[in-house]
Amino acid sequence: MTENNNDREVLLSVQHLQQYFKMGHQTLKAVDDINFDVYRGEVFGLVGESGCGKTTTGRSIIRLYNITGGSVYFKGQRICAGVNTYKEAIAEAKKDCSRRIAELGDKADPARVAELKAEYDAIIKAQKAEIESAKNDQKNCNKIYARREVERIKGEYEAAVSKKGADTALLAKKYKEDIRLAKKDRVMNKMQMIFQDPIASLDPRMTVREIVSEGLVIRGIRDKKYIDEQVYKVLDLVGLVPEHAGRYPHEFSGGQRQRIGIARAIILNPELIIADEPISALDVSIQAQVINLLNDLRNRLGLTILFIAHDLSVVKYFSDRIAVMYFGKFVELASSDELFAHPLHPYTKSLLSAIPLPDPKSERMRQRLIYNPLAEHDYSVDQPSMREVAPNHFVRCNDAEFEKYRKILADGGE
Amino acid sequence: MENLEKKLIVRNLKISFRTQGGKVQAIRDISFDLNKGETLALVGESGSGKSVTNRAIIGILAGNAIVESGEIIYDGQDLLKVEEEEFHKIRGDRIAMIFQDPMSSLNPIMRVGKQLTEAMLLKGKASQKNARRDFNRRLAGLNKYMDLALGEGSKEKNAQLCRTFDNFCISSTKMESAYNTAHEKIEEILSDIDELLFLIEKNQQIDIKARIKSIENDSKGVYADFLVKKDSELPNLITSLTQAVSAMKGKKVAVPADSSIERDLRKVKELLEETLQGETPNFFCLGYYVMKNPDADVTSMPVHDLNKMVHDYLATDFMDEFIDTAAKGVAKSYEIAIQGRREALEEIEEALRYFRGDTLNRAEAAKFEGKLRAAVAKSIDEIAMRKDSSAYTFDTSFRYALDIYFNGERKNPKEQARFDRQNAKHKALIERGKVPDWKVVPAAIVDLDDAKDNICHILENLRDEFKASIDRVGSRDNLAIANEQVDWLKERASAVVFKMTKRLAKIRAIKLLEEVGIPEPAIRYRQYPFEFSGGMRQRIVIAIALAADPDILICDEPTTALDVTIQSQILELINKIKEKRKLSVIFITHDLGVVANMADRIAVMYAGKIVEYGTADDVFYDPRHPYTWALLSSMPDLDTKEKLEAIPGTPPNMIYPPKGDAFAARNRYALEIDFEEAPPMFKVSDSHYASTWLLHPKAPKVNPPKIVTERVERMKRREVGKNDGEQ
Repeated sequence: MTENNNDREVLLSVQHLQQYFKMGHQTLKAVDDINFDVYRGEVFGLVGESGCGKTTTGRSIIRLYNITGGSVYFKGQRICAGVNTYKEAIAEAKKDCSRRIAELGDKADPARVAELKAEYDAIIKAQKAEIESAKNDQKNCNKIYARREVERIKGEYEAAVSKKGADTALLAKKYKEDIRLAKKDRVMNKMQMIFQDPIASLDPRMTVREIVSEGLVIRGIRDKKYIDEQVYKVLDLVGLVPEHAGRYPHEFSGGQRQRIGIARAIILNPELIIADEPISALDVSIQAQVINLLNDLRNRLGLTILFIAHDLSVVKYFSDRIAVMYFGKFVELASSDELFAHPLHPYTKSLLSAIPLPDPKSERMRQRLIYNPLAEHDYSVDQPSMREVAPNHFVRCNDAEFEKYRKILADGGE
Repeated sequence: MENLEKKLIVRNLKISFRTQGGKVQAIRDISFDLNKGETLALVGESGSGKSVTNRAIIGILAGNAIVESGEIIYDGQDLLKVEEEEFHKIRGDRIAMIFQDPMSSLNPIMRVGKQLTEAMLLKGKASQKNARRDFNRRLAGLNKYMDLALGEGSKEKNAQLCRTFDNFCISSTKMESAYNTAHEKIEEILSDIDELLFLIEKNQQIDIKARIKSIENDSKGVYADFLVKKDSELPNLITSLTQAVSAMKGKKVAVPADSSIERDLRKVKELLEETLQGETPNFFCLGYYVMKNPDADVTSMPVHDLNKMVHDYLATDFMDEFIDTAAKGVAKSYEIAIQGRREALEEIEEALRYFRGDTLNRAEAAKFEGKLRAAVAKSIDEIAMRKDSSAYTFDTSFRYALDIYFNGERKNPKEQARFDRQNAKHKALIERGKVPDWKVVPAAIVDLDDAKDNICHILENLRDEFKASIDRVGSRDNLAIANEQVDWLKERASAVVFKMTKRLAKIRAIKLLEEVGIPEPAIRYRQYPFEFSGGMRQRIVIAIALAADPDILICDEPTTALDVTIQSQILELINKIKEKRKLSVIFITHDLGVVANMADRIAVMYAGKIVEYGTADDVFYDPRHPYTWALLSSMPDLDTKEKLEAIPGTPPNMIYPPKGDAFAARNRYALEIDFEEAPPMFKVSDSHYASTWLLHPKAPKVNPPKIVTERVERMKRREVGKNDGEQ
């Protein structure tokens, strides 16, 4: 993918996302300060070993957890915001302030002290304002979204009414219905999730029709006929037939169940789908069916997909860009061809060396690289950060490694 | 042919399940065998019967399963006919299984450590006793045939030979085991020190006190003859280390490089490495020498000279004679067995003529059975290294086959009558316009022709085996076999000496946990399964399976739930352990990518049948069956760009298995005959078979899908490129 990413619309933007869990008196940093943008229409792959935080990332984005710090922007609107970073900044400022006052000594000029205090108070106040706004965004994002939607529909309606020869009665009826729905609309409707286990994620006591239409019902649509129409449409899209709507999940095979999960996700016309290992629990032959289906839907509906998986060959096949995660942090982010052609970070290399291939001879000679962060990096002095080694190829490294990686790339790969 | 020892033979296995809807034919006539030290992969979709096969092998078929025919032969017994009580000795101990779902295969209310050591402790008690029994039996057998071979006169001498062998074999094994324990300890300390030195070099915060303490504890067990001596420098070094550490403050400290601690550690390391480089004494010979000369000072001699000396001593004084006599005994026993076989052959031919006839009679058949059993019993070589499985299992499998036939003959008419009656009733109800709320239970009719074929099959198998073994008579090296016997006895002796205690079991379990890649095994040992992640739990399941040191390991999709890194670690682990312990592995999976690394041979299964069978290279580079093509083309690899070819539809309903080839309905390349008649196994090469009509000489030429051919091309090109690079 050589085209410039700057020209494309950013659908999802994740900034400094932190997700910590409390475990007794320890804090588990499941996701620690990650940044990435997902462009409209692309498939963004997230890989890493189990426990590295890729699922947590997905769930944080879709607000299944309240995030600890950072923010998530969806279509330019902040939908999740954490306050951890601001709190840290306040604590830092307070500490700084008292340190500098102490430095001045006992006989300090009171005016100077007051000045310092005022200076830091301003910082703290600004941070507090940030916290307020974050809390507000976090709490009211759906309301804000609904208000915008209502305004948009009002605008459309007025434009339609002002046209000559418009059927005002009909328009008014439609307008009323639309406004009612828009008032209830949530930004999360535009973002849906496909879960890993097709057996556990479907309610065994609901028919397929109920499962698939649940989103519509919650959204406030009461028109049975419309609901049925929509259900049949998406069932058709995912390769099931309308007769299936009356059945229960246990009557389906694994692949069909995953199709139901996909149908449920796409019925609300989402713009972003978070697919959390949608194929890991399936047979190989069915995996192919599901991948083909997702690929097909992506082309037909213009979906953007955040694809979380650990099967690298599938991720490679399916994704445009891939981010590699290791213990809550991104270590490398690049387009999929670039990542597989020129892996730079030692962890990425170790991941790639572990992929099983259907080729006995090369398999027998395969050397798995083992990644040991202590042995690979020396971060005692120079702290690492994400840096752009080549255009659109980011690696987590420090200065020395940055130079090394650039050199490797300049030499043409390995 | 003889050099590959067959560990497990599955022959004509047919299994179905009784369900409400009717009989589900899960396995329809499969045969394969598993050699020692090889991995056989069973590949197929869910529902193809892979798991059922393995459940049959390990004897945990569901209650509604019916074994229609076939045999699974392991170590001279047919596992399908072994009593449950007897199976306890095999399951987990000799044949272990790694289950697919780590969540449900661990006991949630038992600590991991206990689950791990359970098998070891249970087995430990029995194995010492069993080993002693086996050892004694084999030695007594040898003695018996030595007497037969050399005549009455040498009886006294033979008994003396065997007694001497018994004595020094056990005592030398004791010496060896003490040496090995110390050796292991030294290796442990070395790896600890290496890790510690690495951390010091990287300037990390370490809990140095605990680490030095554990080294100190371990160091108590390293003193042994031929290794570290008590009067060496080691005790001083260790004390100086503990003193240096006790002066430090704080729990976690950074130890400066080039401190006294680091220097001492390096010295300890050097010292221990030096001792490990020494030659290992030949304990077997040494044991004899020490027994004859109890006062000799053997520890002061250089090990190399000592080895030579004791070896020559043993050879001239005892071993040459023992081996020679044993070889004669082995030859005699074989001769007797072959004679028995010659006689048995006639009986078998006669029985075959009868059983191939049209009408069978119970009393008559029983007479034949008695005669055959007596004849076969005479033809068994009691002290053969490899149990002749057909002869050993003939007894049970023949009776079983007879039972099926005669029971069927007796019950079939009744069953048919019941079915007709019920059917008529059902129909009558429907005709009267009622809707019956019950279904007609399908008739369970035994196919008498099949049952008779099965009987004849068993006899033919036995006959062929006997004939083959009679033809082989000339090409036997009795001396080599006698040597093998001695090796086997040595191995048993080590099992006799080895005593499993709780402490030892714990140490082993922790080592095992470390081996399967669980960090901080000592802490993990005391945790419950819920405290582990999925991957970790799977590793524990693997560790449990390996704990009892099995012969055959069955892996039922062990890595399906794991991610790539862990998956490849686990596969490597299984491979490593396989090499080390000469394990035979049956690996079940639906992911062909996984087995490329593991498998020596691959069997592709579909709808209860093996459709393709060959070495890994055969199946990956030259797949022949359309189903294998479909499996290969439905998974992407790193170079795949085009649309994947998913297999359309689902596997067939096995209550009503389709006529002809079961895969025909989903097969793009299906021929007309595929819907009519099931294809036989066509031979592609000596090691490669596939069951598809496409291989028939008259079949149209069909090329595999592009995605497969291109991949094979790519792989070949890569191969060539690699070779060029090497040159």
